[in-house]
Amino acid sequence: MPSLALAAVALFAFALLMLRTRSEEAEDRTTREGTSAVQRSSARGLPPAELALRIFSPTDRTFIRLTRSTQLQRLYEKERRDVALHWVRRISHEVRQIMRNHRLSSRQSADLNVVAETKLFYQYLQLRFLCVLLLVLIQIFGPHALVDVAAYTSALGQRIGQALPEVTRGRRVPSSGNVAA
Amino acid sequence: MLTMTIWCVGTLLECLVLVRGFRQALYRQFPIFYAYLLFVIINEFVRLAVYRWDSAHYFRVYWATQFLSLALGCGIIFEIYRVALRSFPGAARMTRYVLLIVFGAIFAKALILASEDVSSLAATSLILERNLRIVQALAALTLVSLFMWYAIPFGKNLKGILLGYALFIGMSILQITFLYYTWDRIRPLWTYAPSVAYLVVLGIWVRTLWSAQAVPAASNVRLESDYEMLLATTRSQFRRTLARLGWAARA
Repeated sequence: MPSLALAAVALFAFALLMLRTRSEEAEDRTTREGTSAVQRSSARGLPPAELALRIFSPTDRTFIRLTRSTQLQRLYEKERRDVALHWVRRISHEVRQIMRNHRLSSRQSADLNVVAETKLFYQYLQLRFLCVLLLVLIQIFGPHALVDVAAYTSALGQRIGQALPEVTRGRRVPSSGNVAA
Repeated sequence: MLTMTIWCVGTLLECLVLVRGFRQALYRQFPIFYAYLLFVIINEFVRLAVYRWDSAHYFRVYWATQFLSLALGCGIIFEIYRVALRSFPGAARMTRYVLLIVFGAIFAKALILASEDVSSLAATSLILERNLRIVQALAALTLVSLFMWYAIPFGKNLKGILLGYALFIGMSILQITFLYYTWDRIRPLWTYAPSVAYLVVLGIWVRTLWSAQAVPAASNVRLESDYEMLLATTRSQFRRTLARLGWAARA
């Protein structure tokens, strides 16, 4: 029964994940007051959309680059990376909190829908995965990684677009030659 | 001599757990667990008597009682599920479905194996016992995972039964696997290990079942009384969070 043993390992890993979730929840409980204070202050500050746009927008980076100071650029990169990481961690914390509240309420519901719960769990995993992916990207490539990737893709697309007519032209010549011949 | 001492200490500890269970009326809360323990004690004396006076039938008696013990062990897992999820119908429903999937997968796997190789149907009792223990372990792990996911409060008594029995199942799987594959190589190391591990299990049970403790009441965090409303709220919160992550990409 090797697959049974494999399933046992998978379940054990799942149990470990649950343990991790529990310890995270314990951490959450201790920092809840701090977080709610942050939320209260953010309610008075920028709306979430503008906050995200401001953190991840490359406008500030462009401005800092104009100063041509390496030290300032390094300082900016470090600070902005920390701010972006904090923002993603807060989102991740909120996702965990939403799911925690849902679990604590749904466990007592006699009419719990298993299919709906499974779909919700899948969405939760997707959100957590996105947060982890963002954290890794920011940690490795900096807060403007997504914008840079998008810009690179766009530039690559343009280069391919510019290269395509030449290739097509290059192919058309002999074919037209063949037709002429 | 050492084997006899370990056996005597083990039997004494089993009796102690049983006596404390009756004095604290814990047997009313966990009837299957205490029936299992009583069975184990009687079983030990029956096996000893058969071994001493009718050793020709020992093998048959051993396996018959071993499978009865396994069946009662499955009952303990059911009892853990029943006691822990009594006040949580939602979590109980989810657990039933997940266990159904786990058992369904095991059954399907067994069917595939049976159709592939007929000789595996006549597997030895040892392998059969190991496979049944693995099934028990899977069920216990599923239960523990879901208990943690739904933050089900255990209480000292239930936690002790679960921890002790899980340790016992894990040790049994290890023992049978080693016994089957590498017995000659590990014999010097392994002679006393299972007995000592069983003493540890009994120690856990003596400690956690010494006195009856009520299962702590769950924190009443009902945000929505209507399940459909709760589901809609959670979904819309997830959508809002996803939109916020989208703004980061659009910046």
